Amino acid sequence: MVPIIADDAILYPAATLRVRFRKTGALQYISHLDLVRTFEKVLVRAGLPLWYSEGFNPHPRFSFSTPMSIGLESLYELMDVKIEKKVNCEAVKEALNRNLTAECVVEEVYYPDTKFTDISLASYEIVLQTAGADEALAEKCGAALRGSPVTVLKRTKSGEKETDISPMIIKSEASFAEGKILLAVTLTVDNEKFLNPEYIVTYLKETLGVLSGSPLEEAYSILRTGLYGKSGELFR
Amino acid sequence: MNQKLLSGILKSVSKPGRYTGGEFNSIIKDKSKVDVRFAFCFPDTYEIGMSNLGVRILYEALNQKENVWCERVYAPWVDMDEKMQEYGIPLSAHESGDAVKDFDIVAFTLQYEMCYTTALHMLKLAGLPLLAKDRGEDAPVILGGGPCAYNPEPVADFFDIFSIGEGEEALPELCALYAEMKKSGRYTKSAFLREAAKLEGFYVPSLYSVSYREDGTIEAYTPLYEDVPKTVRKRIIKDLDEAVYPEKLVMPYIETVHDRVVLEVNRGCIRGCRFCQAGMVYRPIREKSPEKLCKLAKCLYENSGYQEISLISLSISDYSRIAELTDLLLEWTDERHVSLSLPSLRIDSFSEELMKKVSSIRTGGITFAPEAGTQRLRDAINKNVTEEDLMQAVGIAFGAGKNNVKLYFMNGLPTEEVEDVVAIADLAKKVVHRFYQTPNRNKARPVSVTVSVSCFVPKPFTPFQWVGQDTLASLKEKQEALRLAIQDKKIRYNWHDAEVSHIEAVFARGDRRLSAALLLAAEENMMFDAWDEFFSFEKWLDVFARAGIDPAFYANRTFGLDECLPWDIIDCGVSKSYLKREYERAYRHETTPNCAEHCNGCGANKLGGKTKWCR
Ligand code: SF4
Repeated sequence: MVPIIADDAILYPAATLRVRFRKTGALQYISHLDLVRTFEKVLVRAGLPLWYSEGFNPHPRFSFSTPMSIGLESLYELMDVKIEKKVNCEAVKEALNRNLTAECVVEEVYYPDTKFTDISLASYEIVLQTAGADEALAEKCGAALRGSPVTVLKRTKSGEKETDISPMIIKSEASFAEGKILLAVTLTVDNEKFLNPEYIVTYLKETLGVLSGSPLEEAYSILRTGLYGKSGELFR
Repeated sequence: MNQKLLSGILKSVSKPGRYTGGEFNSIIKDKSKVDVRFAFCFPDTYEIGMSNLGVRILYEALNQKENVWCERVYAPWVDMDEKMQEYGIPLSAHESGDAVKDFDIVAFTLQYEMCYTTALHMLKLAGLPLLAKDRGEDAPVILGGGPCAYNPEPVADFFDIFSIGEGEEALPELCALYAEMKKSGRYTKSAFLREAAKLEGFYVPSLYSVSYREDGTIEAYTPLYEDVPKTVRKRIIKDLDEAVYPEKLVMPYIETVHDRVVLEVNRGCIRGCRFCQAGMVYRPIREKSPEKLCKLAKCLYENSGYQEISLISLSISDYSRIAELTDLLLEWTDERHVSLSLPSLRIDSFSEELMKKVSSIRTGGITFAPEAGTQRLRDAINKNVTEEDLMQAVGIAFGAGKNNVKLYFMNGLPTEEVEDVVAIADLAKKVVHRFYQTPNRNKARPVSVTVSVSCFVPKPFTPFQWVGQDTLASLKEKQEALRLAIQDKKIRYNWHDAEVSHIEAVFARGDRRLSAALLLAAEENMMFDAWDEFFSFEKWLDVFARAGIDPAFYANRTFGLDECLPWDIIDCGVSKSYLKREYERAYRHETTPNCAEHCNGCGANKLGGKTKWCR
């Protein structure tokens, strides 16, 4: 087995390592903060040469690309970790995966040359399993999201506010397949313009009455499929 | 993951991560290849249940058996509970998502009396009849265990069988018996229970009849058959170093009460405080070796990634090799940024050296438990600490830069007078004073002393088991007297709800007749009584009244020394004559030396076990 640590010398300053992973299934029900806690332990278990903050209560440093709200599955998440020694990326990936379940899988580990602040857009696949789903309803959903304004009650720092989110919806396409409505949307995720995809579902619920039946028969899922830079290129 | 909980429901409840399962290190087996499906229920929330060491140990002990699959079950929080009832979703196990009612054995760990209603509610959610006699052959065997099983009588009618004492060896034996009887075709529930009653440490309440005297006290327990033991002796693990201990922990995705490695250092306590049930029922005192503990700690750290190791014990500083252990641990924990925490420090053994080791990385609050305000009362309860001990301990803490300490007391203790309670205020004042006398105290922040006072609850198998609890009026009067006596702003005063303690006392010393009240409570959907927001004293008084039960008969009555006690059916090792001796000494304010100084012949040595002190 290739060792995790490639070189025992301590790096000054600490290096940043990027981990790309997906999280599906049960992991969607874990809050962002709990995922942070989980990863802290995963990183220790995996034996990474973590860089610890100075001071009274030293902690490893790592951060996630974008907030992950409850109910969100994702094929494209990024995490940056500070490390104090040079590592073999492939070995790190394997060690992480040994310490994760099948619902959370690391796809790639590399030394990045970009910063999370450059992330601008995220793409999502939203599936609605709702009564009345057909071609026509799918079309209506797509049109509703392409229209303007798209007004929702949005949580902001200063409480809930009626907000037109149409400028944050960059793309939306709807289709109908296997009894379900599929939405492919691209939303802004810049710091001030972060749009939680839940609002898309909420808006359709309120305006078109989708998903108003029993939770035993109806459901929806939200899957993040990619993160993009300002000009729409895939963010790495 | 529990696929049977639908995403629409999970998305609509708080903290859905409580219900999804799929945790790292959780154990998944092929159900077609196991003989015994075992559901281990914790009658409280996931966050509390996941932090319970006993569950972790037994989960490991049972799953080490290839033919047993032990899964975990927790009580759904009220929002989820509502949805489950609304949509008819039955209670299911965490690992497989299969309905609890389809398991072979369903066990409940009874950690505190106030969880009884939650346990019954879980049975209801599982779709099982509450009373053992109403459940048919197809229903699982319902087992109870944990600290409350030392007096199982108040819930005896709901359970088929109780595991008494330490379960690491007993529960796998029970499963083996079950598997064997199923395989050979000998199994019927009653045949199984009859056989199980012959195993050491299992109590089958339906195999005994209880008769009562005219005054309402118990006359006798009579086994229904010759081969049913007259008393049930608790099980112990003889050699703790050889006991099963998990090397991997199921890692919760969500924050739980104790997110850390928990190392059990010893069992039992040398002290013999007269109010403390744990100090009696976990005897004889057995210890793990530092070498074994250190190896375990490292292994658990590597398999969990937790950055804190907590050594647990009823009284950690009484662990005879504590210095050796902390030295061994510090050899590797420091450089890996792992911190050590030692709860339950005794006042008289609190040393500068220990403090340095423990606070080497992380510092938290410091708590001491003098338990009573005057020396007379501390002697009566056999606490064996003095005011000087306390002043010295807080002096060390203040000198090391601490400026807040927490002091635990109890009120309503046997022989207590209002003066004893008011003296708590004086003691707290002296602690504040001690701060200002400490030369190198932390001057950056003001001193703060928290006085936390709970109410005494007489518990089975303690020298105070016979003593009636103070009446509510008296408890409240004492609480108020102390509140008035604490004038200093630097002293914060918290007190425990006396009404909760009263109900606790009813169940702690209750007998089988209480099941009538519990049945009514279950009908009322009462649960989570350990949570302030759900506990309702009025509801309890109402169900007692409707069941024809006088709570004072159980809580406030002083039991006769020769009375047959509801828990006489259990033998926890410690003899009644020893408890009587201690009871009488209490009223003479006489202390008893601890086991390390002198063996007092409590009787627990008859259970055997590798112990240092027991003669
Ligand atoms: S047998 Fe003696 S030493 Fe052992 S627990 Fe009892 S009193 Fe203590």
